[in-house]
Amino acid sequence: RLHSDPIVPIEPPQSSHRAHREPPRPRSAALERRRPVPAGAAWRPLSGLTAGQTHVDDPQADDVTYWCHPIDVHYATKGLQGWPRLHVQVWHQDALGRRHVLGYGFCHVPAAPGLHSVRCATWRPLGERRERLRRRWVGGGAGLAEPAAAAAAGACDRFRLRCEAGGSVHLQLGVVLRHFARYGVCCG
Amino acid sequence: MARRRPQAMAAVSSGAGGAVYRSRDPVRNLRLRVRLQRGTSSGPLLPQAPPLLTGPALPGLSDRAGTGARRPPEEEEEEAEVGWQEKLFSQFEVDLYQNESACQTPLDRQYREEILKLEKAGGRKNCRIFTYTDHDRFTNLEEHCQKVTDSDHEVPSYLAERMANVRRRRQDCRPTEASSLKSKIITWEPSEEFIKNNHVINTPVQTMYIMGDLGPYGKLGRREYEHVLCTIKVDDNGVITVKPDFTDTKGAYQIEVDGEKREVWKYTIENASVQMKPEEEEREQRVFRDLYGRYKEYLSGLVGSEFEMTLPGTLRLFVNGEIVSAQGYEYDNLYVHFFVELPNQWSSPAFQQLSGVTQTCATKALGWENVAYFSYLFTLEMFFTQGVESQDSLPQWPVLYFEVLSLDFWQRYRVEGYGSLVLPASPGLHNLTIPTWRPVELGTVAELRRFFIGGSPELEDITYVRTPSTFKGERLSRFGFRTETTGSVTFRLYCLQQSKAFLETSAMRQRMQSVLDRLGGFSQQGSVYSVLEAFQRARRRMQEARESLPQDLISASASAVHQSQEP
Repeated sequence: RLHSDPIVPIEPPQSSHRAHREPPRPRSAALERRRPVPAGAAWRPLSGLTAGQTHVDDPQADDVTYWCHPIDVHYATKGLQGWPRLHVQVWHQDALGRRHVLGYGFCHVPAAPGLHSVRCATWRPLGERRERLRRRWVGGGAGLAEPAAAAAAGACDRFRLRCEAGGSVHLQLGVVLRHFARYGVCCG
Repeated sequence: MARRRPQAMAAVSSGAGGAVYRSRDPVRNLRLRVRLQRGTSSGPLLPQAPPLLTGPALPGLSDRAGTGARRPPEEEEEEAEVGWQEKLFSQFEVDLYQNESACQTPLDRQYREEILKLEKAGGRKNCRIFTYTDHDRFTNLEEHCQKVTDSDHEVPSYLAERMANVRRRRQDCRPTEASSLKSKIITWEPSEEFIKNNHVINTPVQTMYIMGDLGPYGKLGRREYEHVLCTIKVDDNGVITVKPDFTDTKGAYQIEVDGEKREVWKYTIENASVQMKPEEEEREQRVFRDLYGRYKEYLSGLVGSEFEMTLPGTLRLFVNGEIVSAQGYEYDNLYVHFFVELPNQWSSPAFQQLSGVTQTCATKALGWENVAYFSYLFTLEMFFTQGVESQDSLPQWPVLYFEVLSLDFWQRYRVEGYGSLVLPASPGLHNLTIPTWRPVELGTVAELRRFFIGGSPELEDITYVRTPSTFKGERLSRFGFRTETTGSVTFRLYCLQQSKAFLETSAMRQRMQSVLDRLGGFSQQGSVYSVLEAFQRARRRMQEARESLPQDLISASASAVHQSQEP
């Protein structure tokens, strides 16, 4: 008897996935984004890339950067724990080719089926005053030592971190859940 | 082996309209038989029918019928079997291509060679019926001059003209590889040639025209007498459009030619492709089924068939939550400390952490407010078990209490707000913005202290935000408690509920019945089960007691029973 697990294909809607960001300061030029999707042990990606990087974009009008980067992942799972999370890093690349991080953002992949417009808020670590001054004039600055740990399920060590608010990354995610009802899971 | 299995999808319109067919087989097996006949006979196309007058509208024909002997009988009818993209030359083309100077493209030269070969072999077999294939210039021109509206003065637009010059290519010509990184993604100054090569219309449709040269006898090869008998368009997906449709049951199609005399030509089109034998068809079906079945098995093997289930009679609430942001607070460097309180019938697994502290975030100005972003993810897993005694009262849902605090550079610590959030009872996405308040004292001294040194009145028991856990009365009075409204915190929660009760599909239970009622059913079953248990225990005790009795007593009673049963 063939039985299938709840499969969580996470697909962008028909019109291509759109992500845009509001930078904190207008002078932030070229922005790119990396997005690993860590999930728990019970989850297994069946197809699709679980990490990727967009191109570098320069906002010309507004303060909004448009990437239109597609995310298409298909997971199979044996349990509800470890629901996949989206981990986003926004980087800045200037004319000299230097790169530093502008924000880290984390959000859950939506657990309800349908089309979701998710606004993922980002923040970046705040150094002490001297570092902040240097960052303001020269750029650069500290990033997280282990970004993946901040996204991990426990994340009990967040209180050690001091950060400042960054912009936000907008994602449009279409989520299809299959066979969840068979195991008595009501997703709304 | 050829097969054509047309399943007519939709005849667009009757008569001159086309029909659409679908087939998965290679299109080169398509063959059509066309019969063309000058329409002087009144009946269907029969070569031996004598020419009859068809009506008063054809006086010219009557003259011809009168002269009769001048017209050779084989001109009246022609039959041709045409394969897909099979090139049959018209008289005009034969005349044209024999002239070497008329050949411009390699295709023309190829035609010329074929024509010369045909002429050497004794002329072409077809006379009036000929074809234009996809490669011919005719197809481009025909499409170029296609009219879209019924206006008389329609002229192709600039775009249509440019598109007509773009060479059509077939789909299998050049699949673009997107994965390889080309050295130059952008060409800043494209040349004309480059533009032409890259603005290719990859038309997936291949067209073929079956034409008839309907000129008067002896004067074949004039362009103005060429008429389209049939247009066949084949799509890459196996969609075949035949316009007009095959003449299966309808009569022959007619074309009226205004020439020296008005003539009526009739023609029929038939599908002459070889059909597949049924065994082969079945074999093909079996192969497909095996292939798909194997792939499905592979996929389900990857996925597996296990999934965590809950115990019967419990509801599992699984919340993927996120503290998104806090906005509208006075001071900077905010952080949120929260914990979840579980009421009586709720429990959580041992590893579940029911509290958390976010990072400290410096705010930024967004619009009128200062906002701090946390992006703090947490997951909560809780179980609800309904006891038998509390079936009447509604269960309490877990509550998330939180407080917003600020800690600044001078290590001044202040309470910014308290709030609470009841976890939603319905599954799905919930975006909640919870306003908060903080306690204040009368007088200015406390506020001054808060401003200069830090420290503010705090709640001893955060559950006071809703109902204090120590409260046991009927009415809660907060008289005398002063607070001040501060900002708000945004949460995003995805709630999932899992329970065996959702699998109930018996007709008695309605779809919208609440989970709790269904859970209650389990406790009823539990009580029935306990009664059964008690009965089983009693029966077992009785059996044990029976065994311990001395044997003669049992036999005596048995014989007594026998005796009583005998008459």
